[in-house]
Amino acid sequence: MNKKKILVVDDEEDFVFFVRENLMNTQEFEVVVAINGKRGVELARTERPDLILLDLVMPDMSGEQVATVLNDTPDTRHIPIIFLTALMTKEDAGEGPMKKIGDSYFIAKPVRTKQLVAAIKQRLGEN
Amino acid sequence: MILATAYLMLFASSGHRLNTYSYLFMGTYLASNLFIPYIPAHFFYKAAFFYFLVLFDSIMVITGIYLSGNVGTDFYLVFFLIICLSAMGSSFRYLMVTTLLLCGIYGWLLYQEGLLSGEKSINHALRLPFIVIVALFFGFIVDAIVRDKDKKIKESEERYKTLVQSSAVLVAVVDLEGRLLSANNKMLSTYGFNAEEQMLCKNISEFHSPENSAEFLSHIQKVIQHDMISEYESYERLFDKWFFRTISPIKDSEGRVTSASVVAKDITERVKKEEELKETNQKLIETRDQLIQKDKMAALGRMASGIAHEIRNPLEIISMGVDYLENAFTDSNEMAKKSFGKIDNAIDRANKIINDILKFSRKTEFKLEPVVISELLTETLSLAEHHIKKSGIRLNVNLPDVAVIASVDRNMLQQVVLNVINNAVDAMSDRPVKELSVSVRRESVTKIGYKTGYRQTDYFKIGEEMIVVGIGDTGMGIPQDVLPKIFEPFFTTKETGKGTGLGLSLAHMMIERLRGVIDVQSEINKGTVFHIKLQPANDIRSKGNLP
Repeated sequence: MNKKKILVVDDEEDFVFFVRENLMNTQEFEVVVAINGKRGVELARTERPDLILLDLVMPDMSGEQVATVLNDTPDTRHIPIIFLTALMTKEDAGEGPMKKIGDSYFIAKPVRTKQLVAAIKQRLGEN
Repeated sequence: MILATAYLMLFASSGHRLNTYSYLFMGTYLASNLFIPYIPAHFFYKAAFFYFLVLFDSIMVITGIYLSGNVGTDFYLVFFLIICLSAMGSSFRYLMVTTLLLCGIYGWLLYQEGLLSGEKSINHALRLPFIVIVALFFGFIVDAIVRDKDKKIKESEERYKTLVQSSAVLVAVVDLEGRLLSANNKMLSTYGFNAEEQMLCKNISEFHSPENSAEFLSHIQKVIQHDMISEYESYERLFDKWFFRTISPIKDSEGRVTSASVVAKDITERVKKEEELKETNQKLIETRDQLIQKDKMAALGRMASGIAHEIRNPLEIISMGVDYLENAFTDSNEMAKKSFGKIDNAIDRANKIINDILKFSRKTEFKLEPVVISELLTETLSLAEHHIKKSGIRLNVNLPDVAVIASVDRNMLQQVVLNVINNAVDAMSDRPVKELSVSVRRESVTKIGYKTGYRQTDYFKIGEEMIVVGIGDTGMGIPQDVLPKIFEPFFTTKETGKGTGLGLSLAHMMIERLRGVIDVQSEINKGTVFHIKLQPANDIRSKGNLP
């Protein structure tokens, strides 16, 4: 089976480590990680991931800025993105693992691996 | 006395006819003069009476001359004295009439005594025109003086009259009972009359409402009875005007206060401006409060975002770490499984608190509007109905038939009420009697500084109304030492994991934003009642919707 390649961009190194391990453990994904926005953009260009998990609040570049840069490049424009945010309430998030606001998809932190996998699959399926 | 002595001299010089009649006459004359001081003074101001006295005196003098038998004597010169004095009566006409009558009688006497014929007849006859000329002379002088004085008095009177009549203030004179004795033009026009006569002798109570009349009269009586000046402001319902009145005593010639002058000024415009100023000031204070509140909320929002970010990121690492470890310990290790469950719970708890803080800080959409409280309560109760019924609680709802409308943010109040109800339901979970009572009533404010938690507020003013929502339970009650803490953030008595300790502190903050007060009364083993005191809606209508 062709494993989907997921790029995880988050400034929390420990989170990045665990999320990579957990996603790899599912045997369904190949995971590349970046611990800042700039590196995230680079990897998105070179690795051509199938999906990007993108933290919204990062010190060098915000998730939004990263997304804007990627959207401005034809090569990366099509890559689906799921934003990770700490500022969403349970009520905002609603029932599902992921919330669509406008054209963007969000997951509220903290998220469990199961929900994350479900969200990724849903997002890939929709694309 | 002078006259009596003159008579004696007259009689003495005549040397004869000094008989009983003469003494009798002198006695009568003196006695009649003794009466004069007992005649009230104001009689002398009447010209007819005054000149009657003068004539009487003159006739007495003539009679005296006749009785002395010495008609030709120079005693007639007394007439000049009389004329001179009587000129003070200041009536030229009466003076001349009196003088002519006097001359007639004296002339007739001279004629009877045969003094108008013979060698000295011209001497005697000239006396008559002489008297008349002197009378004319004094008459003219006095008349001129009087005229001049009258003119001056009249002019000054006219000046005062114009001053009073054309004055822009209302001027009136009233007696002790409040009857009008005079009123100026401004007063007439203000009260809707054309002529002073229409108002005179009428009581002020005919022109004012009963309350205004009572107040007015009490001031008048105070002024007249205690000889003092009284000033007061009052709103006259019948005119829809504000008046500022100065009431001062008026004394009669004997110094007694018999009436009072009332000077009233229409101060409606001033009062209106003052009220406007007060209102503007009030609005300013409110706006300032709102700005502060907004600022507070914005700061809270920023802080909440910060907290959420800083706590959720480690939480995220922990939860992902747990997932990782769970995967690593695939062999069924009961100990590990239990531990993971506990860590999961802890993560959920922490996350719930962040959730509550974020939720509250984001409530930026805040709108005060008139809300029918009983409807809102019914609505809220239906939301909690399931929870209430499941717990086997009897509901005792006491809502008024008339719409009680408060000025609140609908969502905020609902959240608070729901929170208090949920607490009440939890408090009764293992109680034998389970009764939840909800009531609404209007109450007038009787004290200043209702406390909300620790803080005293000035949201309610004495005499105004407030709306009180009562939510009571028959739970185990809250111990006295715990009561003051229940509105503190993160304070909870619920078992770990059940409450975040934010519910009541948020409720407190929300009610504070509604310019209301939430307080609590509790009795151990009997129950707890929360009172939510709210601003009535009519208050808001004038203040406008707050941003």
